Amino acid sequence: MKMTELKAGDKAEIISIKARGEVATRLIDMGLVKGTRFKLIRKAPLGDPIEIMLRGFFLSLRLNEAENISVEKIGHVGDGKPMGGGRRGR
Amino acid sequence: MTKNKELKEISVVLAGNPNSGKTSLFNGLVGRHLKVGNWAGVTIEKYEGFIEYEGYKIKIVDLPGTYSLTAYSPEEVITRNYIIEENPDVIVNVLDGTNLERNLYLTTQLMELEVNSVIALNMYDEVKEQKIEIDFKQLEKLLGSHIIPTNSIKKEGFKSLLHHITRVYTGALSVPKNKLSFSEEVEKNVERLTEIIKGDQTLANKYHPRWLAIKLLESDQLTYTSTKERAIWLNIEKELLDMIPKYEDMFDSSPSMTIAEDRHSFVRGAVKETVQYPKEIKKTLTDYIDSVLINRLLGLPIFLALMWLIFQFTFKLSEAPMGWIETFFGFLGEAAATIIAPGLLQSVIVDGIIAGVGGVLVFLPSILLLFLFLSFLEGTGYMARAAFVVDKVLHKVGLHGKSFIPMITGFGCSVPAFMSCRTLKSKADRITTMMIIPFMSCGAKLPVYILLIGAFFPVAYAGNILFAVYLFGIIVAILSAKILKTGLFKGESEPFVMELPPYRMPTLKAVLIQMWIKAYMYIKKAGTIVLLASVVIWFAGNFPASREIDKTYADKAHTVQFNQILDDEQKESQINEFENIRLSKQLEYSYAGRMGKFIEPIIRPIGFDWRIGISLVAGLAAKEVVVATMGTIYSLGGEEDEGSSDLAASLRNDKKYDIATALSLMIFVLLYIPCLAATVVFHKEAGAWKWTSIYIAYSMTVAWVLSFAVYNISKLFLV
Repeated sequence: MKMTELKAGDKAEIISIKARGEVATRLIDMGLVKGTRFKLIRKAPLGDPIEIMLRGFFLSLRLNEAENISVEKIGHVGDGKPMGGGRRGR
Repeated sequence: MTKNKELKEISVVLAGNPNSGKTSLFNGLVGRHLKVGNWAGVTIEKYEGFIEYEGYKIKIVDLPGTYSLTAYSPEEVITRNYIIEENPDVIVNVLDGTNLERNLYLTTQLMELEVNSVIALNMYDEVKEQKIEIDFKQLEKLLGSHIIPTNSIKKEGFKSLLHHITRVYTGALSVPKNKLSFSEEVEKNVERLTEIIKGDQTLANKYHPRWLAIKLLESDQLTYTSTKERAIWLNIEKELLDMIPKYEDMFDSSPSMTIAEDRHSFVRGAVKETVQYPKEIKKTLTDYIDSVLINRLLGLPIFLALMWLIFQFTFKLSEAPMGWIETFFGFLGEAAATIIAPGLLQSVIVDGIIAGVGGVLVFLPSILLLFLFLSFLEGTGYMARAAFVVDKVLHKVGLHGKSFIPMITGFGCSVPAFMSCRTLKSKADRITTMMIIPFMSCGAKLPVYILLIGAFFPVAYAGNILFAVYLFGIIVAILSAKILKTGLFKGESEPFVMELPPYRMPTLKAVLIQMWIKAYMYIKKAGTIVLLASVVIWFAGNFPASREIDKTYADKAHTVQFNQILDDEQKESQINEFENIRLSKQLEYSYAGRMGKFIEPIIRPIGFDWRIGISLVAGLAAKEVVVATMGTIYSLGGEEDEGSSDLAASLRNDKKYDIATALSLMIFVLLYIPCLAATVVFHKEAGAWKWTSIYIAYSMTVAWVLSFAVYNISKLFLV
């Protein structure tokens, strides 16, 4: 599924990133690479952009950037599924 | 070169992620030995300072905060070029100790450069507070660098940091080799490229060959450009054209992607091996604050309320000090007028220089206050959230969430608004936002609207008309953003991949420094040029002076003086009237007046005559001046303000003017280029004549076209 299809509180893992050019570089630099696990924290009041938590920090990105990211849902907040990484990564 | 021959100089740079506490570490280290400038060609502030330690003069440059060393954002280019071209003696890599996994990604890229480095593990107090345990010894081995825990607010670890910097520099402290390596196939390719690069001695001396090989394999544009001129490029290119497609076929991924993934895995492995997080998961303060501040329901109202408060405070609190500055310059003018004999010198000093400089400095209180609030919000981490909350609306017209603050600021004054565009990193976003700011009607245009609405519209409609004018400006701004973004900067846009940093209380010092930098740049740069331009405008309004006009009215006044029938009061009023007519005639005769007449053919289609033309020319100095100049032309003396019923009545009774003229004039004043101070600041911030000319041409064209439309449409329906 696409990252945009996740709901607030969902945990997921990145399968692939289709973006090119600057967007791709930005995503990679911020730690969004294949295999990265993250949690969708919330959507902005108007539905776009979204906020995710990965590697122990919070990141916002627009839906049209998240469109390029294929993910697999692995759980929902509170289920204790491990996510690796930083202080809240578990 | 050292100024003091006894001290040996060590050049040090600070590199690190944004929000890693790099700037407060820098401030703490250099104390008052701080110099702020701009990096060449960009509006990113450059901080330099020095500190003396054990017989060394350590010169420190604070590089812009970056997450990576790819060459996309200007910050990254600056950081990279500085490290590569200037060859600093020691790099201090500043890390936010509470978020090592993200921060260490940049570290891996610095490791590839194989230069002398020391790691400052900053915010160590928070690390301890959160009960995060770090195996320093092991981490040092993996990263190939000494790690010193620091706390920039309490200045802890500074001595040790300086100690390590000097020892690494002299070679007294050995640095272990780092353990970073890439996947097998990437390593093979890197090695092959490294060998080729080593064949060009000059190139291999200038850049670290392995680093260059990695960058070339990553298809890094900047490295391509700097390698292309070498003869060896042919060999390199041949290799690259061979190995990259092969790699992509084999792994269904590009080498650059694998390299990035390998760096991230290295970091993850290193953190897993050396950092122990507490067992229980606790909600942090940031979680709690964000669950309210950017809540789906409350996010927008809270944001709007905060903005409203900032504007209320900025403009209300700055009213009084603005009054003091005005009074002070008024007093200075009077004092100068008593000391210097009446004449040209007095006029140029009092009406030109003192009035001009005063007119610029009067904005200082609002600039100081606005940037006090904005720097504080920026320091807490809320600004990123504000952009998050409003981004959708602005993205629709091609702007960025961060454009909102400058746009709102524009309602107060364009000058601080232009300066607050610095938070926009992409040039396309920044220039577009700057171009539309003047359409957000600033405070100084209000007197013009009030005068015209008072003169031509019934009181019952006054509020609605005023609102409509402001709304018109907003609509023009939005449409302009769309036009400019698609016309000038096709497709260029900053991706909205942005960290929402943890909330932190900024130090007062950091906020004050930020505020002062903005104020200082305004005083220095706008002050000098505006001073010059004020004199030019003064000159245009006073020269050439006609002796005949002076003589005619002096004679008339003289006649009145000896008139037996009039009493003293009548005499005085008539003499005053002659003086006002004389000023009006002189203004008409001056260069400004001739300019008004010269442009009359251009402005006649939008309903203006030469008298409005003079006012508009004078309004380039400051928008309030439009009203005062009209007062002078209508021979009412120069001291007119918007409340003046005399001027409103004169305008109303003038057969040449009607509602259509009033509407057209309001639209024109709303849209044509803002005052001189603002235009100068625009030029400084945009950084190129190209943008300044586009901006002037664009706003003038839009103003004329829309005034023309409004004038003719209202002629049809309203008159």
